[in-house]
Amino acid sequence: MKECLMCKAPLRNEIRLSEIIRATPLINDPICQGCSNDFLDLADIPTCLGCGRKQTEGMSQPCRDCSRWQQSYPFNFSNCALYEYNQQMKDFMKQYKFNGDYYLRKVFSGQIHRQLKKCPDVIVPIPVGTDTMLTRGFNQVTGLLELVNYSNILKVKAKRKAVRQSEKNRRQRIELIQPFELIQSQKYLIENQSILLVDDVYTTGTTIRHAASLLYHAGATSVRGLTLAR
Amino acid sequence: MINHISELYGRQIPLRDLSEKLVANPNIVLREAITVQHGLTCVRCGTKLRRSTASLPNNQYYCYVCIQMGRVDTLTQLASVHEPNQFKGINDPLSWKGELTVLQQQCAEKVIEVFQNKRRHLLWAVTGAGKTEMLFKGINWAVENGLRVGIASPRVDVCIELFPRLQAAFEKVPVVLLHGKSEQPYQYSQITICTTHQLLRFYHAFDVLVIDEVDVFPYSGNPMLHYAVQNAVKPDGARLYLTATPDKSLFKAISRKKLSVSYLPIRYHGHFLPEITVNRTKNLDQLVDSGNLPRKILKRIAQLVADKQRFLIFVPHIKDLELVGRAITNARIDARFKTVYSADPQRIEKVALMRNEELDFLITTTILERGVTFPGIDVIVLKADDEIFSAAALVQIAGRVGRNSDRPTGRVLFYCQSKSGNIKSCDQQIKLMNRKAAKL
Repeated sequence: MKECLMCKAPLRNEIRLSEIIRATPLINDPICQGCSNDFLDLADIPTCLGCGRKQTEGMSQPCRDCSRWQQSYPFNFSNCALYEYNQQMKDFMKQYKFNGDYYLRKVFSGQIHRQLKKCPDVIVPIPVGTDTMLTRGFNQVTGLLELVNYSNILKVKAKRKAVRQSEKNRRQRIELIQPFELIQSQKYLIENQSILLVDDVYTTGTTIRHAASLLYHAGATSVRGLTLAR
Repeated sequence: MINHISELYGRQIPLRDLSEKLVANPNIVLREAITVQHGLTCVRCGTKLRRSTASLPNNQYYCYVCIQMGRVDTLTQLASVHEPNQFKGINDPLSWKGELTVLQQQCAEKVIEVFQNKRRHLLWAVTGAGKTEMLFKGINWAVENGLRVGIASPRVDVCIELFPRLQAAFEKVPVVLLHGKSEQPYQYSQITICTTHQLLRFYHAFDVLVIDEVDVFPYSGNPMLHYAVQNAVKPDGARLYLTATPDKSLFKAISRKKLSVSYLPIRYHGHFLPEITVNRTKNLDQLVDSGNLPRKILKRIAQLVADKQRFLIFVPHIKDLELVGRAITNARIDARFKTVYSADPQRIEKVALMRNEELDFLITTTILERGVTFPGIDVIVLKADDEIFSAAALVQIAGRVGRNSDRPTGRVLFYCQSKSGNIKSCDQQIKLMNRKAAKL
């Protein structure tokens, strides 16, 4: 019997009546109902149009963070997130990214594939540094994109990354200088194209906005963002 | 981070966790964490890995089975140092001054003999027989002779309860407690108490390894943990298994003469095990699912509360906890109670409340089925015919009752729709043990 990738409980994939009637392809959920309920899906609830976070009462539209970004980086950028970065998502990220359980990409890769298979944009993942690649052995973003056609256009500038992004505080992260550069041979792929940048987590927005500004400078017509969590 | 060489004695730790000054130490033996000849095998947990699941984009492989203990992959090396048994000789370290009954004494001598002859042995003693006390003499002998002793259990609660008892019994011997959530740092000590998962970090360390509650999840039927036990004990070390309810694999090992066995069918206070009372109740499942309870059960609960008789209510699933709790509140039974389950953040506090007699009863899942003692309680099992309750689990639950010599009897009430095979088997096992005890 298959087991839930997250809690290891045995999985009973029950076929719903609606699935039989609609005759759509059956989707084998990689995780159990309980684990999947603990992720907060942002698709059906109001979110900030700038960064994709859940709208709470009294929040402006776009949120204060995003208005500040628009002042300092005056280009058009909006991010969409699939899930809230809640405890369950933090646990997932800890296990997937920091413990390095690469197989856990399967928790979301099927869903991301279904979401992106009709996307006309050029899909660009945020890269990881060579050190991380050596110790972790994988890029957590391309892992999530394993079933999607994407283009590796960015790379992390060499001789950087004394401290991991997740170990810095907000101010240190925002003041970061441009961490990425273009792979010159791939530049033709983005000229006059719409780009969808993909990252795992949107925290302060620094990473993804630096990447977006780089792509605009290289001649992209529009850049949007998609992150697994916000 | 490992800073001192002694922290590597009899252990296997990824090389990256060693401090820089240690890495060059000539006593360190390195082994590949994952071998690729004859299929991928994780050296730490013994699992044969599937290539498709284990592969990483950088053409390496990692072990997805023991990843909770920190990832090992084909670039990792495991560092260990041969166990040197570097202990100060202590003469008669046992500071416990209790007395054993004649039958307990016989078992205790058997334990010493097993340790001396480095055998594999099962001590099959009923719930509440005083298994821990019977170990003391054997451990005393092992410590005196400079041997390294490990006591492991699949259940973290059992380890946590064992630790203070062992430390009190051997005041002069350093004892270390290891489990996933413990904050005590690792220290090389002569007595180690840990969960079976922690044994994955040991390599040929223990001369004597005791595995308590050996038939229970997650150890039972888990090849990784069986491998961990085999690897943690020295190749010629002694292994002692303890349980009140051996499972099939243990019986098989006994019949193949790979394991010797001794029984203790009577409790330390000399009274029989309480036998179970089965109450068949119509529509119990539907009633519980809709947040109700049959009137006779509510009446019984109210009666127990009025009599100031404390008790545990066992339910099969976490979702039943709230339903049963609500049914009892709706019936206007005036009682102090809490619900508790494995992942409950306040689990330890709630169990402590029950222990301090600040609660009339606890509603619990099977997590409290073993390793815990609340003196003088009764037990109610709802939906006892649910498949969650194995025969062993039911025997253990019944074994919570009558553990104290002040009240060596008590009620064990099973409520179910039909008398399942597991209930029958539980009934038979208890009666068998009582018949054996009567012959003594």
